[in-house]
Amino acid sequence: MAKWYEMPGEPASNVIYSRIRLARNWRDYPFPEKMTAEQCKELVDRLGAGLRGIGALDGTKYRFAWLDGMAELEKTALIERRAINRSFSKKKEAAGLILSEDERVSIALNGDDHIRIQIMEKGLNPLSCYERADALDDYISDRFAYSFDEKYGYLTAFPTNVGTGLRASVIVHLPFLSRRKNFPSLVADMGRFGTLIRGVYGEGGENFGSLYQVSNQKTLGQTEQEIIEIVKKTAVELDNQERRLQKEAQEARPLAHADEVYKSYGILKYARRLTRKDAMEFLSHVMTGVVNGILKTDGACSIYGLMVGIQPANLLSMAEKPLNKEELDAARADFLRARLPKIRQ
Amino acid sequence: MLCEHCKTREATVKYVEVINGVKTEHNLCSHCARSVDIGQYSALFEGEFPLGRLLAGLLGMQNAESGTARYDSVACPNCHTTYKEFVQNSRFGCPDCYSVFDPLIGENIKKLQGSERHVGKRPKNLQGQADEVGKGHGTAGFGSEAENEAEGFQKLDAKERVLILQARLKEALRREDYEQAAALRDEMRGLKEEIKQDGEMV
Repeated sequence: MAKWYEMPGEPASNVIYSRIRLARNWRDYPFPEKMTAEQCKELVDRLGAGLRGIGALDGTKYRFAWLDGMAELEKTALIERRAINRSFSKKKEAAGLILSEDERVSIALNGDDHIRIQIMEKGLNPLSCYERADALDDYISDRFAYSFDEKYGYLTAFPTNVGTGLRASVIVHLPFLSRRKNFPSLVADMGRFGTLIRGVYGEGGENFGSLYQVSNQKTLGQTEQEIIEIVKKTAVELDNQERRLQKEAQEARPLAHADEVYKSYGILKYARRLTRKDAMEFLSHVMTGVVNGILKTDGACSIYGLMVGIQPANLLSMAEKPLNKEELDAARADFLRARLPKIRQ
Repeated sequence: MLCEHCKTREATVKYVEVINGVKTEHNLCSHCARSVDIGQYSALFEGEFPLGRLLAGLLGMQNAESGTARYDSVACPNCHTTYKEFVQNSRFGCPDCYSVFDPLIGENIKKLQGSERHVGKRPKNLQGQADEVGKGHGTAGFGSEAENEAEGFQKLDAKERVLILQARLKEALRREDYEQAAALRDEMRGLKEEIKQDGEMV
């Protein structure tokens, strides 16, 4: 079954995908940090058993896995695909993961909080992600009573999540905007609206691929819909600014612009070795080319899906054997040669 | 401006230090700022989500300024998280911590979140539970001490009684009546044990 990130996104948009995360805690236990090893095991056992029928809610197939039953490589690959976060992967005590077949839905049990529901979807769809998370949340709260306070709302281990327990994010591709000198100050300005912008694959110049995540900073005192609206508006604004810069570049230096896109496509199509940095940067150029219509692919495609696929743990998982640095770069080039969409001349 | 430390990344952190009236200024990237020792402010650059650490930073500063260190040993009666631990980790140990530490950090949560009251979604099943609790009591006297003797209270099942005791505990803590709080806590513990044992028998 195709994973959510392999699905084609919205054409002609720099918005890649949306993500919703809800943090919840079961009233019967202290927060994970203060639980004994036995309590952790018991909690995950009981939650796992109680949520076994969750697939019936929307006809989705889920698998349940204990974190300690997973190989390190699998955990890293799940981080690269954003199904789990790093702090969850490092958890020493018992923890569990309920993951839908297409990896659109993941429910982390006993991470930083008892329950963290995450939904991801291509395009600018934070509200539909939330609606799905909301339904799952109701299903869970019918079975397990949450820690909820009249004043503070849903109680979470970190007071930065208290209230709605909601982190709404939209991931945007900003190759031109992020190259501008004033980008850091633009990011700081956006912070005043209560959003936080940061690189998906690293900070500053090391964020290869120029993917940025816009999320809400505050979780208390605003409704879920208000939070989502702010994040959505910020993402739309960034998309518009990026679009304007791309259009300007295309008009001012059409040949240079097209050359960058086609050259990148050519390298990805024929290279025999590619580092992660190079691959991410060339894919970023190709992504721009597809969005503003310079590159016309045969049918819809997911360049973001390729960005996920070329991350080291995912390549290593596919290879099913250890690879040294050079072999890994070769595997990355092979992966891209086989999957890069054909273009119409 | 480039970071004065690594000279490769953009400097995003400006750190001004004034010692004995001598002012020195440093421009660092967030990566290098993490490795440079700038006291409690270092906490700001650690962790996945900077905001979480911001709270630790704020509280740490306050501690140093106003001598609130005397609260360091205030502990949550339920999970034994101390205020000091909370300042260090920005993380609570259990739901009760919110009411225990509310007098100490409520203002900071408000600063950080821009609000002190939840307005969004409520758990679907919460309403039902509250109604059930209310039936045996009347809502007016909820939490009053006299009710402890009321027959109705004993008729309620253990889980509901825990709920009521929790509310009373919260109230007692708000009044800073720690003796009463301790008694309520012990009573709750006993009840929780009961629930646990019952659960195991099923």
